This record gives sequence, structure tokens and C-alpha cells, in this order.
Amino acid sequence: MSAYGALTAASYRASVRDRTTVFFTFAFPLIFLVVFGLIFRGKTVEASGRGYIDYIAPGVLSWGVGNAAVFGVAFTLMQWRRDDLLRLVRMTPTPLTSVLASRYVIALVVGAVQAALFIGVALLPPFGLRLDATWPLALPVLVCGITAFLAIGMVIGSRADTPEAVAAVANCVMVPMAFLSGSFYPLDAMPSWLRSVSKVLPLGYLNDGVAKAVTGRADLASTAVACGGLAVFALVFGVLALKTFRWSNES
Amino acid sequence: MTQKKPTGQAAGPALVLEGVRKRYGDKQALDGITLTVERGEFFGVLGPNGAGKTTLVEIMEGLRRADSGSLSVLGASPWPRNMALLPRIGVQTQSSAFFTRLTAREHLATVAALYGADPAGVERTLSLVGLAEQGGVRVEVLSGGQRQRLAIASALVHEPELIFLDEPTAALDPQARRALWQVLRALKGAGRTIVYTTHHLDEAEALCDRVAIVVAGAVVALDSPGKLVGAAKAPTRLLVPADRITVERARAFEGVDRVVAEGGSVVLETRAAGPVLAALGEAVGLDGVRTRTATLEDVYLELTGELTGSEPHA
Repeated sequence: MSAYGALTAASYRASVRDRTTVFFTFAFPLIFLVVFGLIFRGKTVEASGRGYIDYIAPGVLSWGVGNAAVFGVAFTLMQWRRDDLLRLVRMTPTPLTSVLASRYVIALVVGAVQAALFIGVALLPPFGLRLDATWPLALPVLVCGITAFLAIGMVIGSRADTPEAVAAVANCVMVPMAFLSGSFYPLDAMPSWLRSVSKVLPLGYLNDGVAKAVTGRADLASTAVACGGLAVFALVFGVLALKTFRWSNES
Repeated sequence: MTQKKPTGQAAGPALVLEGVRKRYGDKQALDGITLTVERGEFFGVLGPNGAGKTTLVEIMEGLRRADSGSLSVLGASPWPRNMALLPRIGVQTQSSAFFTRLTAREHLATVAALYGADPAGVERTLSLVGLAEQGGVRVEVLSGGQRQRLAIASALVHEPELIFLDEPTAALDPQARRALWQVLRALKGAGRTIVYTTHHLDEAEALCDRVAIVVAGAVVALDSPGKLVGAAKAPTRLLVPADRITVERARAFEGVDRVVAEGGSVVLETRAAGPVLAALGEAVGLDGVRTRTATLEDVYLELTGELTGSEPHA
């Protein structure tokens, strides 16, 4: 087995053997879906005439996927460094890219399962999400989104040395961003300045791209804008992640 | 995935250090270390905590960069991270450095894959360190000694030429410790070079070809344990049962430097053990008399005591 394959298998096993974390990774966004779905049941957004669920579902999904990508890699890097596991890897001829690539593939799989489960539940009658034919355009946006948030998580995991610090920093980044990017309520119903703010946040691009695909307002151009925006964040934070990466807490 | 076999004894020393220095802030951790470790040698690094042992070993492993001086590991430079050199080196990991929620076998298989080594080495190495039966046990539930043996296994699974062990027997019970001695002797027998740190001086004396005693970032002694003990001229202690001789009578023997009563024995310290024993035999007989010659521990305590300014061992 290659070093990349071995690290991916080790990460996969560590993940699925931790039932609690697995459960909440997938249940967390669903809880939000249920809460908001019931609050806004049957209501429509005046500006577009579509149900609230069509806005809430892509927003909560985007946030849930981003959240899982950030927390997953941040906790793993912090823990591997704290346990001296990265030092072990450092003493083998395993390139850093294999370490990061194994986390990347895990994040993509987690994101895919999250998305499938979430959309499946949202389509059920109590929530009544309507998927438009353009929904496959959400896939490249989700991939770019996971990449960007993974890079953000890598920076957090490389700087924070304790689980408490990871949770504090990641929550500080993700919770305000959810509100400023319209994950929990439609931006169309918000003041225009908030819509401008969402344009400088990665979650804004992820929300927008996924929402447009799901509600049939997406085309190749809008998808390219969402993916492009996320790619810029992925690149900036990816470079930052490589600069801040540490094999051990001491150096 | 081919296994890299040791390339033999031919290619020069395993380690060459010349004037290696390292400073952390205003603390000089290593103050000019010069030493050579030959291939196939069992080399001990001894010294008090804080003497610079860890820094020295980490520089040899390529985990830290020396401020100055030159360093050659198996003929190559370990810094910056040398991908060609790393598979030829084995490093005992910290006993915390296990992949979360994996079994001992899965952990070791992951380490083997990271080295690009033959997966067949996994079972062999588990048996070697006595963990064959614990292969299916999660790393979190292994006992302290088992964790330590798994950490040692991480250093051996890819059959490296040069092995670094950091206090490998610290958490082991006496049986496991002796079992590990056999493993280490077998590795040496197979031509591997072993560099190890320990606080067990009896162990260093039993295993090491040579030891370096490091105090305050400098090598204060470097030789075989036997020569170090011989050169130190530490006294031999003769323990005579207290009902056979009085302290006053013992003092009267020629060649006795010091006499103390200790735990039911009268202890005679002498640098002329032969003549004193002969005289003792004539006077009170030798039944029940025990002889304690100087050990590496005596030499160590003498050297480290002097140089750290603490009271030398009596």
C-alpha cells in the first residue's frame, strides 16, 4: 500500500470507529433542516415566490459541509501533532502532500455522504424541497467548497495546539460566517449590505452556487463564478496552510 | 514495493559528528560534540536529564538542525529532510504516537506503508517485540509496556540499518526488559547499528560496545563500559557479615581505605582487593563475604556529580 493509501485507510478507520462523531457529523445539519423547515413550513419568499425550504436547504447543507471539512482536518492535524504522530510521519519518506491528500479524500467522501443524506431528507414531504434539473451543477461547487474549507481547517489545525483552541477558532470562523452568508435564512430577504458582505466570504459563494443549482437559477456562468470564488479562497488558504504547517509542536 | 536491505558494513562509519553545536536562546544545549559510531556498533548515550541527550539524538535523526559543526549519517546529511536516508533509519516513537482507534497490527502496517516497506515485516516485528497476541488490540487499550514495545516495533518494521531507541526499557517489567535485550543483541548480531539512550546503567554496561556520557552539552567520557570502569579506579567494596568482624578490626587491614557498617554487613572499601581478600580469608574466613566491584553507575555518578556540581556518590 502507498503511504497515501495507508494514511487514508488509517483516517477512515479512525473516523468510522468513532460512532458519536460520525453520527453528529451527519445529524448536525439535519437538526438545522428540521428546525428551520418546521419554522418556515409552507412559507414562501416574496421576492421569488419559492418556498423557504428551497433557500434554507442549500444554505444549511453548504454550512454543514463546510463545517465538517474545517473541523475534521483541524482536529486531526492538531491531534496528530500533539500525539507526535506527525513526527512519526516526518521520520518516514512520506511527502507532506500525501498527508494532506489523504485528508482531502476523506473530506470529499464525508461531504458527498452528507449532501446525499441531507438532500434525501429535505425531499421528504414534511420539508418539500423541489430539486431543479440544474442540481448537478451543485456538485462542482461543493467540491470547490470542500477544498476551500479544508484549506481553512488546515490553517486552524496547524496553529491551534489544543482541542479547545480548535473548537474556539473554528466556531469563531464558521458561526458568524453562516449568518453573514445567509445559510440560515434567504439573503434575498436581507438588506443589500449583507449581500455585499457575503461576496467576500467563501460560504457566500458556496451557498449561492448550491442554492442556484438546486432552485434552477444556475447556468455555467454562475457556477463558474461560485467555483472561481471558492478556488481563490482555496488557493490563498492552501498557500497559508503550507506555510503554517508544523510537523511538531516544538519547532 | 521492494525492501531495502542493509547494505553491509563496508561503507564507512554509521555516524560522524564533528563540533556539533546547538543553542536555544541563551542556553547552549550542545557545546561541540565530536564522536563517531561505527557500523554494527551498539552505542549508548548516557547523561542526566537536561544534559542535551535528546537534542543530540534528534540532530542525529535529522529532526533538528545543528547550529554549526558537521554531521554525517550513513554517509549522508540528515538535514534538510532527506527522503533517501529516512528509510535506512528507524526511530522509536513516543508511546503516544499511534494512529487513533487502530489496532496494534493496523498501526504497525500503516507505519510500514509510510516507509514503503514489505507488509510481511508487520507480523515478524510484532512477534519480535512480543506483541503477536496483542495484534488485534486497539492501541488505546494497550498497557504501558505494550505501548512501549509497539513504539519500538515502529523503529524496526522496515529493517533499517541504523536504529535510534530512546529509553526503550523504561516502562518494561524485568521479564520484558530481558526479552528486549535479546532482541537488541540479535539486531546487533545481524549487523545493525543501534544508538540508544538510557538511565539504566546496568543495561548500558550489559549491552553497549561503547557509551558516551553527556554532561551540560559536552561528551565527558567516551569508551567501552569496561574501560571506563577500569580507568575510574573506583574502589571495590567487600561486604563481610557483621557478626564476623568489627569496624575497628576491619580498619586495621592494610589497603583498606574506608570502612562502614551497612545493612548487616561491614563494608570495606579498597583499591587493592586481592591482598585485602587474602588477609581477610586468613583472619575471619571468606564464607558469606561478597565482593562488589565498581560499575558503570559508579563511574557515571562520579562524572556527572563532579560536572554538575552536585555531591558525588559515596
